[in-house]
Amino acid sequence: MLSFVFRRLAVAIPTLLILVVLSFILMYAAPGGPFNSERPLPPEVLANIEAKYGLDQPFWKQIINYVSGVVTAFDFGPSFQYKDRSVNDVIAQGFPVTLTYGFWSFVVAVTVGMSLGVAAAVKQNSWVDYFAVGVSIGAQVLPNFVMAPILLLVFTLWLGWLPGGGWNGGQWQFLIMPVIALSTSYMASIARITRSSMLEVLNTNFIRTARAKGLPMRRVIWKHAMKPTLLPVLSYLGPAFVGMITGSVIIDVFFSTGGIGQFFVNSAFNRDYSVIMGITILVGTLTILFNLLVDVLYAWIDPKIRY
Amino acid sequence: MTLKSRLLATTSAMLIAASGAVYADAHATHPVTGEALASDQNFVYRVGDESPSIDPGLVEDVDGADVVRDLFEGLYNQDAAGNLIPGVALSHAVSDDGLIYTFTLRDNAKWSNGDTVTAGDFVYSWQRAASPELASPYSWYIELMSIENGAAVIAGEMETSALGVTAIDDTTLEVRLSQPLPYFPQMVTHGTTFPVHQATVEEFGSDWVQPENMVSNGAYVLTEFVPQERLVRERNPMYWDSDNTILERVVKLVIPDENVALTRFLAGELDRTDIPAGQYPRLSAQYPEQAASVPQACSYYYMFNLREGASEEIQDPNVRKALSLAIDRDIIVNNVLAAGQKAAYTFTHWATAGFETPNIPMATMTQAERNEMAITLLADAGYGSDNPLSIDLVYNTDDSHRAVAIAISQMWKQTLGVETILANQEWQTFLEARSNGDFEVARGGWCADYNEASTFLDLMQSGSGYNDSKYVNPAVDALLAEAKTSANPQANYDRVEEFIAQDTPIIPIYHYAADYMYAEDLEGWPFENFEQNWYSKDLYKIAE
Repeated sequence: MLSFVFRRLAVAIPTLLILVVLSFILMYAAPGGPFNSERPLPPEVLANIEAKYGLDQPFWKQIINYVSGVVTAFDFGPSFQYKDRSVNDVIAQGFPVTLTYGFWSFVVAVTVGMSLGVAAAVKQNSWVDYFAVGVSIGAQVLPNFVMAPILLLVFTLWLGWLPGGGWNGGQWQFLIMPVIALSTSYMASIARITRSSMLEVLNTNFIRTARAKGLPMRRVIWKHAMKPTLLPVLSYLGPAFVGMITGSVIIDVFFSTGGIGQFFVNSAFNRDYSVIMGITILVGTLTILFNLLVDVLYAWIDPKIRY
Repeated sequence: MTLKSRLLATTSAMLIAASGAVYADAHATHPVTGEALASDQNFVYRVGDESPSIDPGLVEDVDGADVVRDLFEGLYNQDAAGNLIPGVALSHAVSDDGLIYTFTLRDNAKWSNGDTVTAGDFVYSWQRAASPELASPYSWYIELMSIENGAAVIAGEMETSALGVTAIDDTTLEVRLSQPLPYFPQMVTHGTTFPVHQATVEEFGSDWVQPENMVSNGAYVLTEFVPQERLVRERNPMYWDSDNTILERVVKLVIPDENVALTRFLAGELDRTDIPAGQYPRLSAQYPEQAASVPQACSYYYMFNLREGASEEIQDPNVRKALSLAIDRDIIVNNVLAAGQKAAYTFTHWATAGFETPNIPMATMTQAERNEMAITLLADAGYGSDNPLSIDLVYNTDDSHRAVAIAISQMWKQTLGVETILANQEWQTFLEARSNGDFEVARGGWCADYNEASTFLDLMQSGSGYNDSKYVNPAVDALLAEAKTSANPQANYDRVEEFIAQDTPIIPIYHYAADYMYAEDLEGWPFENFEQNWYSKDLYKIAE
């Protein structure tokens, strides 16, 4: 098991390197540059700026400088767009915000989604099932860019209960709407996966045996059916968790939360090369880590899996 | 603590609180207008994106400049009408040849840490703004101001100390220009020329703009700065005119979506927000006291590619003029945009200071007459139903640019039978295509850097880096060069505008207007200021 983890981590490093180089090339292939604007800069001014940011160097040298800066000093360079800040500042400010609302969205999505899914499967074809399926389909078809303005309209403009956006250090009033908007579609997927997985498990022989020997339903579900049910859910949760904590530009745009998603999209529009790279590496690293974590959990849940 | 001392402490605390209340009461009416003031003097406004920088030396966008004008104070400020009023400088004298400006500074201007603002601070800050080390995208502004050796300092050919700015003593600042520039005093209201505190900048490097480090000399100090979320500034008690500053706290919120911002405005969370595109007619009818449209110092135009090797059809001035004539600008401003914009027949914005819009024949014709003339011109050029003209029009991706482009392509089609192929491009792609000359007709927008017609017309100079049409006309170059040093350049500007109308290197379409919602209790907004340079120190909220 341990050697498996080490092997995976060893593969992760070249994976990340390839990611860095590929993003670097793609970025430079895009037309324009970080210092273009409606008003083109005079050549001598542009030369000063390019010298300051090392953009006057040959392409291969820029990649080497960048990678060595990241590896040796954990320095992702200055932001080209936000001239008072470094990429580390940008991430240090935006990531905790996204992490906070992402984490709570995850908690809500998993708790509500799995409860709905299990309830629906256990009471299949009853009103509980129809209700749960109805809710999850409803949540699935209502994308968050539709939901966000509706939430704002209802809770901010009509009822006046919640502030219409901002972060304010992450006070709970500012968290509610982002969490609802971000978690619903994940919740819907979790509910549907849980339901179908649970239904499948409930029809297997070992569950029939457990019930035949007279175990109460509650015990059958929690003790025997839950673990195998979790496997497909788990493989969904890994990437879903990364998706939630690394940014939702929709949430950042509609609720003005100042999270990393907004920075990511803006940096692509602004050709803010260093910020694009920094966030790509962050997201890439987290994706690799959580996929690994899911694999490890798999082995823990399912004794049939050996690494 | 004994009971007695505790009593004493409580009483003195109450006394202090009471005196505070008296102070607040003393300010309960506006010192000039006598209006009753609200007890809440917080101003909260929306911007769409974080500014690249709030360092005066680096500031490059409008929202950032608004912040910089509150936190720092330059030589001169503007009043509500855009006229110059004393800032750190009380007055200035100009040498007979117009090359040396000597500013007299006030001796009571303070930094927020108590230091005195001196002429030396300006010397340091201007040298810093021009220095290749800072590499400011706005360093060209120093060059634009024609300060002696500005270009050489920016290019790194001379030391920053060679820049033509000297502190004669603490309250006397001398500026030497390389050529007379009649509107030079207007240019020192721009953030790039504002002073920074040398000791602070040198101690903290780029972190000096953080609230815990920043030392500033404006009416407000920075107290909170969360990029992409909020920036808070509060009244600066060290500011020389602090007694007359009424707003206590100004909050800038970054709200990327303008419809969300409008919802929050209507919910009472904001005092000022942009009106989303297309909603001005509805909102001004529903909230006449709150919706306002003011002229904005920008011109919207289409440019033709006049480079060697660009498509043949549009090299004919008659074709270009026909296309210009066939655009019914009144429909664009009244029906497509409908937010207070004005039809443009000149490149220079109608509200530019000291600029009289010249009589361009096209402007006084009816649209029917224009269409008739356009049809004749195009027929003379050899295009018609048997040989239809086809034009590629490119604009950057945006709903309102698309609406304008569709309307114009319909006008060209209906009046002239011209086929237009519309294409939109992502912003950076668009800019690159345009500056590389990879277009036939492209959308352009130009905003004034200062309130004088040359800020627009200089684009028509053959050598201008912003002349994306690559329009070359020696007569225009000569007229513009002469206007630079002329005491009354209006005649030259008239001639240049006539050349634009005749040669049609660009099609002026409309002059921008900015439309905003303002809270009803907010007063003092400088609607008359063409550049919309607003100072929080001049704003206040009245009691209901």
